[in-house]
Amino acid sequence: MRSRIAALLLVAIVCGCTGPVRSFNVYASKGGKTAKAVVSAVETARLAVSAAARDRAYGRYLGQVLAEAERDATAAQGTFDAIQPPDRRTDRLREELDGLLTPTLSSLADLRIAARRGDLVDLPRLAAPLAGLSKRLDDFAQAHQ
Amino acid sequence: MRKVFEIALGILTAIGGFVDIGDIVANTETGARFGMSLAWVVVVGVVGICVFAEMAGRVATVSGRPVFDLVRERLGARVALVNLLASFFITFLTLAAEIGGVALAIELATSVNYLLWIPLVAFLVWFVVWRVKFQVMENVFGLLGLALIVVAVALWRLHPDWGGLIHGATHPAVPKGEGHPTWWYFAIALLGAAMTPYEVFFFSSGAVEDGWTRSDLMVNRANVYIGFPLGGLLSLTLMVMATLFFEPRGIEPGHLSQVALSTALVLGKLGLAVLLVGFFAATFGAALETALSCGYTVAQYFGFQWGKFVRPTEAPRFHLVTLLSIVLGAGLVLSTLDPIKVTEYSIVLSAAALPLTYFPILLVANDPDYMGDKVNSRLGNAIGSLYLALLLVVAVVTIPLMILTKAGS
Repeated sequence: MRSRIAALLLVAIVCGCTGPVRSFNVYASKGGKTAKAVVSAVETARLAVSAAARDRAYGRYLGQVLAEAERDATAAQGTFDAIQPPDRRTDRLREELDGLLTPTLSSLADLRIAARRGDLVDLPRLAAPLAGLSKRLDDFAQAHQ
Repeated sequence: MRKVFEIALGILTAIGGFVDIGDIVANTETGARFGMSLAWVVVVGVVGICVFAEMAGRVATVSGRPVFDLVRERLGARVALVNLLASFFITFLTLAAEIGGVALAIELATSVNYLLWIPLVAFLVWFVVWRVKFQVMENVFGLLGLALIVVAVALWRLHPDWGGLIHGATHPAVPKGEGHPTWWYFAIALLGAAMTPYEVFFFSSGAVEDGWTRSDLMVNRANVYIGFPLGGLLSLTLMVMATLFFEPRGIEPGHLSQVALSTALVLGKLGLAVLLVGFFAATFGAALETALSCGYTVAQYFGFQWGKFVRPTEAPRFHLVTLLSIVLGAGLVLSTLDPIKVTEYSIVLSAAALPLTYFPILLVANDPDYMGDKVNSRLGNAIGSLYLALLLVVAVVTIPLMILTKAGS
């Protein structure tokens, strides 16, 4: 009885771990999901910047929204980067996505810092690159559903 | 005149008290992912809670005893114990989520991490439960919860395409890129949020706390049949705002802060401030209700003296259970579990446990020994039985759907 319970526990623990990805398609799909999650964070940040530009929200609230958006994007990137790419082809996909994620996270960090410093007038300028990045991330997500 | 005022106040507090963190999260997430295609579930949920809350209120009013008190007597100790364990667990999870929700609402106004607010929130919840009179507590937080109407004002100011929204709601279809299992999983979450068991425990125990008599049956009906649907309408406006602002942008909201963005964009700083007050009142009011419901269910099962209508020293075990629930609920959220995730699981698990709550109500409301001439009408029984069948199906499929969809992710 005890050995059965131990076996069940082991299965449960193993199922809870992130297993290695063995095919390009599965890896690409995880990349697509990551891009989708980051698009969500970026678009949230853009809405917050829009509220700031029109003086429609408090600095503290905006700082909170932007910090959470950055945290979500960072978490999505961290999860994706922890997955072992199975072959050279997936290396290229990984580089392509990281090429989008790195400037996105940098912009989100700039926004968070500016909002926390109370530099709300700077937010639209700092957010300018995000429109294009969001579009490219969305295209990536659509291509790798 | 006094009766009219009492009915009006009851309706207003029922509206303001209807929405809690579960409704806020479920409606916003659903609108963002599925547009208005699941709006029908809110209608089904609101009709369901109306039917059963009216029964529970009527049982408490006629018999002078709340539902859980009668469950053990009617179903026996063992069956009632299963009912108690499931109901208590769900209500406790909801309490933890509400405490987290209050702390998150304060964080939005102060930028101070929500974890630092949790001990203070827990203390305030206990303090209000301990010191403040039931009617005062119910009215103050119910009325403050009306601040959430600001979302409806924002929606009105937005002049949306009502025809498109109504078309989306009346022609439900799974959006492109989403699977049927996930769509159904979110439908269950919405139903769980609308029919959360604690609402019935609190409502029926509240009827006893308020000292309702047969002459208050009208107040019961008005609260339930006017207040609850209007409260449901309020939660639907959250879904509409998410449909308009989040769905087209691909935003999947996972924070309370995101829910407020659309209202801020439409109404500005004043609208945002009112909404934050609404978040605070809705979650704090629900934290009080869930904390008391934890005490009510346990005390009523074991036959302890319960309620705020007696002095705390006369109901020590009831207050002890309530206090321990608050402390453990706060501890659960302090463990850094995301309060929004706790909310998501609490509403889905509550959907799985719904038959355990609502079957005994239907049973007792049909028992002439308790109800005399106020047993359910044929129509009431037909609707109640139909819902019970639906809730049984929901209970059976919830956990498999949770596993299949990885909790809707």
